[in-house]
Amino acid sequence: MRFALLATVLAAAGFTLYLDIRVRSEFEGRRFALPARIYARPLELHAGLRIAQADVEEELRRLGYREAPPEGESGWFSKRDNSLEVALRPFVFWDGRQPAKRVSVFFDQGKVDALRDAGGAELALARLEPLPIGGIYPAGNEDRVLVRLGEVPKHFVQALIAVEDRSFFSHAGFDPRGLARAVWSLTSDKVQGGSTITQQLVKNFFLTPERTLERKLTELVMAVLLEIHYGKNEILETYLNEIYFGQDRDRAIHGVGLAAQFYFGKEVQHLGVAESALLVAMIRGPAHYDPYRHPQRALERRNLVLREARDHGGITLEEYAGARGSPLGVARKAGMGTTPYPAFLQLVHRQLRRDYDEADLRSEGLRIFTTLDPRAQDAAETALAKRLAQFDRERRFGQPGLEGAVVVTDPQSGEVQALVGGRDARYRGYNRALDAARPVGSLLKPAIYLTALSDPGKYTLLTPIDDGPFVWKSRGAPDWQPANYDRKFHGAVPLRVALAQSYNVAAARLGTDLGVERVLDNVRRLGVERPLRPFASTLLGAVEMSPFEVAQMYQTVASGGFRAPLRAIREVTTQEGRPLTRYPLAIEQVFAPEPIYLLSAAMQDVVREGTAQGLARFLPAETAVAGKTGTTDEQRDAWFAGFTGDRLGIVWLGYDDNRAARLSGAAAALPIWGDMMAALAPEALELAKPERIELVWIDPQTGLRGGVSCPGATEVPFVQGSAPSERAPCSGAMDAAVEAVEKSVVRAKSWLERLFGR
Amino acid sequence: MRYAIAIVALLAGCATPPSPEPEPAPEPAAPPPLAPRESIAVAGLLETARTDAAAGKLATAAASLERALRIEPRNPRLWQELARVRLKQGQYAQAESVAARSNSWAGEDKALRAENWRLIAESRRARGDTEGAQAASEAAEQTRR
Repeated sequence: MRFALLATVLAAAGFTLYLDIRVRSEFEGRRFALPARIYARPLELHAGLRIAQADVEEELRRLGYREAPPEGESGWFSKRDNSLEVALRPFVFWDGRQPAKRVSVFFDQGKVDALRDAGGAELALARLEPLPIGGIYPAGNEDRVLVRLGEVPKHFVQALIAVEDRSFFSHAGFDPRGLARAVWSLTSDKVQGGSTITQQLVKNFFLTPERTLERKLTELVMAVLLEIHYGKNEILETYLNEIYFGQDRDRAIHGVGLAAQFYFGKEVQHLGVAESALLVAMIRGPAHYDPYRHPQRALERRNLVLREARDHGGITLEEYAGARGSPLGVARKAGMGTTPYPAFLQLVHRQLRRDYDEADLRSEGLRIFTTLDPRAQDAAETALAKRLAQFDRERRFGQPGLEGAVVVTDPQSGEVQALVGGRDARYRGYNRALDAARPVGSLLKPAIYLTALSDPGKYTLLTPIDDGPFVWKSRGAPDWQPANYDRKFHGAVPLRVALAQSYNVAAARLGTDLGVERVLDNVRRLGVERPLRPFASTLLGAVEMSPFEVAQMYQTVASGGFRAPLRAIREVTTQEGRPLTRYPLAIEQVFAPEPIYLLSAAMQDVVREGTAQGLARFLPAETAVAGKTGTTDEQRDAWFAGFTGDRLGIVWLGYDDNRAARLSGAAAALPIWGDMMAALAPEALELAKPERIELVWIDPQTGLRGGVSCPGATEVPFVQGSAPSERAPCSGAMDAAVEAVEKSVVRAKSWLERLFGR
Repeated sequence: MRYAIAIVALLAGCATPPSPEPEPAPEPAAPPPLAPRESIAVAGLLETARTDAAAGKLATAAASLERALRIEPRNPRLWQELARVRLKQGQYAQAESVAARSNSWAGEDKALRAENWRLIAESRRARGDTEGAQAASEAAEQTRR
């Protein structure tokens, strides 16, 4: 008997010791795992920016700014005719903290006309804070924003104490009366209650949610141990950061800091009495008292919390009276879950993993500043979803269920502005923009023409290319006999027409004449990294790429022959804002400017008079888009790739099972590209004309030098010295004289420039 | 447009075209317009970048220039300033590419082009490409002339 007693005491002591070590090591070593926070690009307002007032308002609303009369702290905006007054919140950017400030933004005809500060002085720039677009979360998708006890309003703490644990500041970790109730609740089937704040913390921190006597006992011992080792404030602060406040789709809201942001769109220190009471009310059952789903229930419990707080001196009678009648006041629910843009986040995550450990991304609270342009993203998602729904209804291209992907980048910098991985843009799975590998069809043709145009002694935009019957024989492979889309042959056609009409036979002949390897070399130089089979058929796009890879290839053309790796991240900082990594703009000149200029001009012809003429229904001719359609064997894939002055877009459509369909680039992919760009009011494409390029009037009949007297004469760019020297019969003496004068004017101008040393 | 101007020139001047006499005649058709002087937004960022670069804060300077380039991607002076920063950072390949990018937007601005070629020459020299540096120096000279 005595032995048994001794053994029990020893065992209990040993167990307590074990728990003590666990409590200390875990509590001490415990740092909350904070997700990496991911932001869109900040919107920078400046005079001349092409953006409508409504778009700025939408951006502010999504940032959680309230539309309010001009008064009070930051975080509101107020509308007037053609202007907005905005009280910007402070924000820590990569390059430092930007304080709160008032800005007035004036609009005129879809542009920002001027910016003024509160005193009316002109402002050069106003940078809005960037939109949070998700995170990379720890296990359980737990999200939280850490707060210090001192930042939490007194009334919050007092309401919490009044409702959850009145003797918190005096007990030793447990409350005997509560304990008695708890034991009772174990034997009956009532909701468990009576846990002190310390016990609740222990439960959340160390234990699994079973309800056994054993577990209850362990919890009790650990609570006491916690109280022995740590102060009340420390325990309370940890509790405030740990406590669960409900679910935002797949994201778990933890801690009062994030709860204040999620439910009220404000920092915890700005919570009002009624707001604090609602959050305290929710602790008991965040789903049960969800203010969105059960507003009445939540309101009743909030008022109960207010009464308790009043009765126990937590708030004054006036505060009670003021708060009781107020509405729940929760923010318009954005409900983004872990992210509204899973496809783009996947790209960000992949690019981050080159430089960061997965564990750090999920726990260190890093801040990731990305290149996402929410306007471009929304335009891309909307255009794709709308058209695919329409195609489903009409069954124009095949059975319903067609899939698609979109990539939008900034042609100058290679920044990725939007990425859509499928018709359901919220779906967190297969990302077609990055991972689908599909034949690119005619999208590879520009590489053939670029190769040709790099040799201006042999090829100009007017060089005749033979589109007559063609058979390619190579040893060990069956004969290759490409056909045109219209199943016809077109004889000798000028090079730019062969591209504009996307003639397969002409392209195949030209490509094999130039040499398959030479063309594929240029495909690689354009930025394609995957292995390319050195077959002639590769020239006509029998090579599989993702829309993202295609974007990289066209990026190099759009930026004048300078390859810029596509980037989704600009900067990474620590939680406090200390810069860690910058992903700078990096470019490499991989093509001379002249052939790129000629190719781009020819791609403008594709839109003006070739296979992409349909774009005229979406954008004015002045936009001068350069583009290329793509359709693959048995019409399985439809592509459109094109760029304006400020955006490059790639659209792909096809079935996931790669079945034959009735798709074509012009009919299926182009309308999506057109809808998307039209919504973004793109800048016109003005090609930078290299010095060694001259524009020459050409008579369309003969392809020789023409002029005003030749009907339908057009200006065609040539590398200097490569234009035809012969005059067309229609071109008279007048044209020659005009040309001579033009030349002399240019000469006189350069003479003047030399004189005045411009 | 160019025709109209040329015809006006014909009628106004003499019938024999090559006239070295620089009449204050109509401006010749504008070449692709030079980037106008910076907007105040970009001017401010450029100023900040120059101050930072002078103080040796090169990464910050580059970041400001990239910010400015997002506003005016066709401004050759911004690209040139970025080339200068990359050179100071010892990123010679980048300096060369970025200076070349500046050239592609420089239009008729010879001083700017010459300076770009000078930067390219310097980058090549730093990389040990003496021949290339020589060629770039010559291009700078020729442009200036």
